[in-house]
Amino acid sequence: MAERPEDLNLPNAVITRIIKEALPDGVNISKEARSAISRAASVFVLYATSCANNFAMKGKRKTLNASDVLSAMEEMEFQRFVTPLKEALEEQKKKDKDKKTDPEEQDKSRDEDNEEDEERLEEEEQNEEEEVDN
Amino acid sequence: QAPTSAPGARLSRLPLARVKALVKADPDVTLAGQEAIFILARAAELFVETIAKDAYCCAQQGKRKTLQRRDLDNAIEAVDEFAFLEGTLD
Repeated sequence: MAERPEDLNLPNAVITRIIKEALPDGVNISKEARSAISRAASVFVLYATSCANNFAMKGKRKTLNASDVLSAMEEMEFQRFVTPLKEALEEQKKKDKDKKTDPEEQDKSRDEDNEEDEERLEEEEQNEEEEVDN
Repeated sequence: QAPTSAPGARLSRLPLARVKALVKADPDVTLAGQEAIFILARAAELFVETIAKDAYCCAQQGKRKTLQRRDLDNAIEAVDEFAFLEGTLD
């Protein structure tokens, strides 16, 4: 099942929705254009990961962290993303804080299906078989 | 123009598991923290927004209401930040 990294596509439905939200009402997108944007987004993640990893290695760290990714954004000339990304991170941290004080939420976060609470990447494959959108 | 960042305004979320799979695909990456994955997902969403808007500017010049593949190719050629995409979408 060796796939090229760029074949790891992001879900069409979400990509389409983001595109539609970005464009004025009444504007459509061809299937080919949508598919190309989806692939571009995957390439973007791969490139950003590689860039971020360089920063981590420079810092002699083995774990990619948020600031590595932010540094990568600047390196890639997407500085304009940095502020919204920082805000999103703050928001997420607040949400996580709230979750932690609620014992019911704590149980939920132990649920393996809850993607947002996954910790680090494990080197062994976790059972994360997801349907691939084709 | 700056991407929208109003809290609650964004409902479209890329699943973290898919982003994680992409990060895992890099043989040089050992580990990635949860926050890093989150920010990468968010950055990818902003990227999709950005490239869609830039491609639309090209379509507008043709007075079309449907974004075509060629609009995307034109945007990639015209915008420096998209240079990393050249040759990757075929």
